[in-house]
Amino acid sequence: MPVFYLDDQPIEFQPGEKVLPAALRAGADIPHYCYHPGLSVVATCRMCLVDVVDMGNGRPIPKLQTSCSMDAAPNMKIVTSNDKVSEARKLVMEFLLINHPLDCPVCDQSGECILQDYSYDHGTGKSEMEYNKRVYGIRDVGTFIQLERNRCIHCTRCDRFTREVTGTAEFGMFNRAHELTVDTFADRPMVNKFQGNMADICPVGALTEKEFRFKRRVWRLKKTPSLCLGCSTGCNTSIEYDKNEVFRMKPRENQEVNRWWMCDEGRLTYRQMNQREGRVMKPMGRIKGELQAISWNQAFEAIAERVKEMKPQASEVLALTDTRASNEELFMLKKLMRDAFQSSEVLFPMPSWEQPESDFFIDSIITTDRTPNRAGARELGLKGDTDGSLLKQAAEQPAKVVILLGNPFEQEAAAREKIGDAQLLIQVTPFLNEWSELVDVVLPGQLHSEKVATYTNKDRRVQRTEAAVVPPRQSHPEWEVLAGLMRALGQEPQVDSVEGVFAALAQEVRSFAGMQLSTLPATGQVLPGTVDDPGRAVKRLEKSSIA
Amino acid sequence: MLEETLVLFRNIRNPNYDKSLKGYLASGGHKALKQALGMKPDEIVQVVKDSGLRGRGGAGFPTGMKWSFMAKGTGKPSYLVCNADESEPGTCKDRELMLKDPQQFLEGMMIGCFAIGCNHGYIYVRGEYWPSIKSLNAAIDELYEAGILGDNVYGSGFKLDLTVHTGAGAYICGEESALLDSLEGKRGHPRVKPPFPAVSGFNGCPTTVNNVETLACLPYILTEGPEAFKAHGPENNAGTHLVSLSGHVNRPGVYEISMHASIREIIYDLGGGIRGGKALKGVIPGGSSSPVIRADEIDVNYSFDGLSKIGSMMGSSAMMVFDEDTDVVQLLHRITRFYNHESCGQCTPCREGTHWARQILRDFLSGNGSDRKLKRLHRVGQNMSGTTVCALGDAAAFPIMSFVSKFPEEFKNYFESTSPIAA
Repeated sequence: MPVFYLDDQPIEFQPGEKVLPAALRAGADIPHYCYHPGLSVVATCRMCLVDVVDMGNGRPIPKLQTSCSMDAAPNMKIVTSNDKVSEARKLVMEFLLINHPLDCPVCDQSGECILQDYSYDHGTGKSEMEYNKRVYGIRDVGTFIQLERNRCIHCTRCDRFTREVTGTAEFGMFNRAHELTVDTFADRPMVNKFQGNMADICPVGALTEKEFRFKRRVWRLKKTPSLCLGCSTGCNTSIEYDKNEVFRMKPRENQEVNRWWMCDEGRLTYRQMNQREGRVMKPMGRIKGELQAISWNQAFEAIAERVKEMKPQASEVLALTDTRASNEELFMLKKLMRDAFQSSEVLFPMPSWEQPESDFFIDSIITTDRTPNRAGARELGLKGDTDGSLLKQAAEQPAKVVILLGNPFEQEAAAREKIGDAQLLIQVTPFLNEWSELVDVVLPGQLHSEKVATYTNKDRRVQRTEAAVVPPRQSHPEWEVLAGLMRALGQEPQVDSVEGVFAALAQEVRSFAGMQLSTLPATGQVLPGTVDDPGRAVKRLEKSSIA
Repeated sequence: MLEETLVLFRNIRNPNYDKSLKGYLASGGHKALKQALGMKPDEIVQVVKDSGLRGRGGAGFPTGMKWSFMAKGTGKPSYLVCNADESEPGTCKDRELMLKDPQQFLEGMMIGCFAIGCNHGYIYVRGEYWPSIKSLNAAIDELYEAGILGDNVYGSGFKLDLTVHTGAGAYICGEESALLDSLEGKRGHPRVKPPFPAVSGFNGCPTTVNNVETLACLPYILTEGPEAFKAHGPENNAGTHLVSLSGHVNRPGVYEISMHASIREIIYDLGGGIRGGKALKGVIPGGSSSPVIRADEIDVNYSFDGLSKIGSMMGSSAMMVFDEDTDVVQLLHRITRFYNHESCGQCTPCREGTHWARQILRDFLSGNGSDRKLKRLHRVGQNMSGTTVCALGDAAAFPIMSFVSKFPEEFKNYFESTSPIAA
């Protein structure tokens, strides 16, 4: 690849690439506000000015150039450390701050604000402005984001986002000169489903998430890479938490899945991670008709005893799982059924869904599929129920032993009543649900924010989560609970870690062959083969390009 | 004694001239157009290059060179857009051409379209120019009725349509890329260059944007030849140009002069001297954005190079003359207020700087000036120049810097002595 030099450091670039993205990719920092890799280049903040001392042909460019809009050329020599450039940055900072309210103490962006950072790095630290600052009134632009126009530095990222990324164009720039401001058109509230991204890309505190407003200073937040399980897209996220409480979920860049974006609904799924109401804290058994806390040993012993008494045939055992379960958990459930009961009767819901498509990429990241790991379940060869017929069949021949993972087939109340007549119902779940009223034993599970797990998204990409927050003390990840059940039923699971489960899975399922949990790339890995989900239907959204 | 050199104004200065198509044809019009249609487009570009014609919109870029930058073989249509959004304070030359001799300008436009292979030309006229818009539309209707515009211009097989588009009153839409944005129906914001309009302009197609006066020069260049045009000015400053003379002169107006003339000749011979016989204080030579010059600097050629030699520029050749009674601080405040109002606001230095400079100048006017503020004013100006996407940052900065450095005593008077206005 050709190379240009940024302060004597060689930087590789692809032909046609601009200087700033190439430099950022190489890890060099050129301060910038209006440039964002997912948006068009407007070169208006003037912060990324650099001095081109040699265009690659021995000649300099006399004026400073904006690196975001300048094509890189082989052997170009660019200087950012001389007085000319630092003077230019100083003046841009000064101009940006003359009307900025400097209300950092009450601003949620404070701590992750690049105006703050660059002010420390490149500003003068003092201002000669001695007139009243420009002040705007408060505007409410919708339910998800808070607009504070006084803080705006007019980088127009939000304007370009609604034009170029969502294509809804309900947000724009108004007025001219120093009165330039951002707002929604005709006082209408925002309508797009991706408003949170506008708060993410806003370099300052002009747009912040209402959900996070005044909750916590951002420098207190710890971040752990995770996934969104709102739908089967599996957007890469970062869980941000403090003192074991999750405060928000932000998208994490993955060009193959969600790029930089995420939908608002997905962002709000963080709420469940903090939910304590209905959370299963300890194993519970049904004693005299009431669920009461028992110990793990008591639970396993009781189950083992009942199974021994019943001696169920393979046809008398049934397992139902939802698709919030990870690949490892589904594998362990399958293994349990096979080794302990010689049964392969593991059902999961597999309803039809729609994959929206339009001229705008972002529309494809919200699917109507609320079964996040269905591709994983299909890969493991579990029985997908597309129209409720398999479940109905199972309900017609009541099983003696039923194992439930999570909250499967939650809509099917009639089948639930029938299956609930089984002699032994075991449920592994983080939250109590309708099934819990029928079951005999509830074993606490964990949320994906609390464990290491892998999920397979709609495009057969295997991605992993990390444990962010500490789970309830008595809970265990589901794979461990299922391994415990196996032991109780006299089978040796031969796994002692999630890596081990994944390794066993990779050995058994051909499409996972050769994969290891510890070496799974941060952006995930696509399973070989083609996407052949029969329930997938492409829905074309009619949306014209506005940008 | 300087007199007008009549090239573009040869019809306008004729009191009996009939500006209709009939009258224009009777005066020898469309001779150049017919001649051009018999040539190859490249030949026309070469003739224009040879003539040394430089753009009359302000930057003075060689027109032939601009045309030759047009991207070829892109499979997209090419466009010629005429910039008739004449809004630089003090400039009123294009208005004269469009109002009083529209056919001459349209002939130039047609030649330009043929030269760059454009089948649909647009004329973006300043929204306030109602009479000019009417006159242009009437002239274009005549051309269609005569069967000249349309599918077959003078039987050459060349298809050409012309459309007049009116602006909505923004100065920034006179900047060529903002003009194209506005023409496309968007908010007029200058675009980042490159890509230049010659590569990606109107609707992403190769586009040339030329000034009215530039295009109006073409018929003369083609009929009389590039050498005749060149002879009207010194080396590298070919042709006559229209000066919009305004301010404290006895006979303000639009004059056509050769570029050999000096500023002094223009003011005292054509303009009839300063009104009331007063002394000259200074001249803003090329529209309000050009750096001001003092009374002792006016003995230079009023040409592109003559003015750049003394650190100013000819811009749109709008000369504003002010006499000894003028309050320079008030003048600068008025100019800065204009640029503050017209800044589109996208670039940081221009958005914040124009307003800040205006606030500082208001301080001076209300008697709160100081040495420190004068230095600050100059610094704000300096920081605005050369750091923005388009030239509006420069346009606002040049007057500030030049007024402060050329008339420092006037600013000092505001806080050192008690001037009647300050009090």
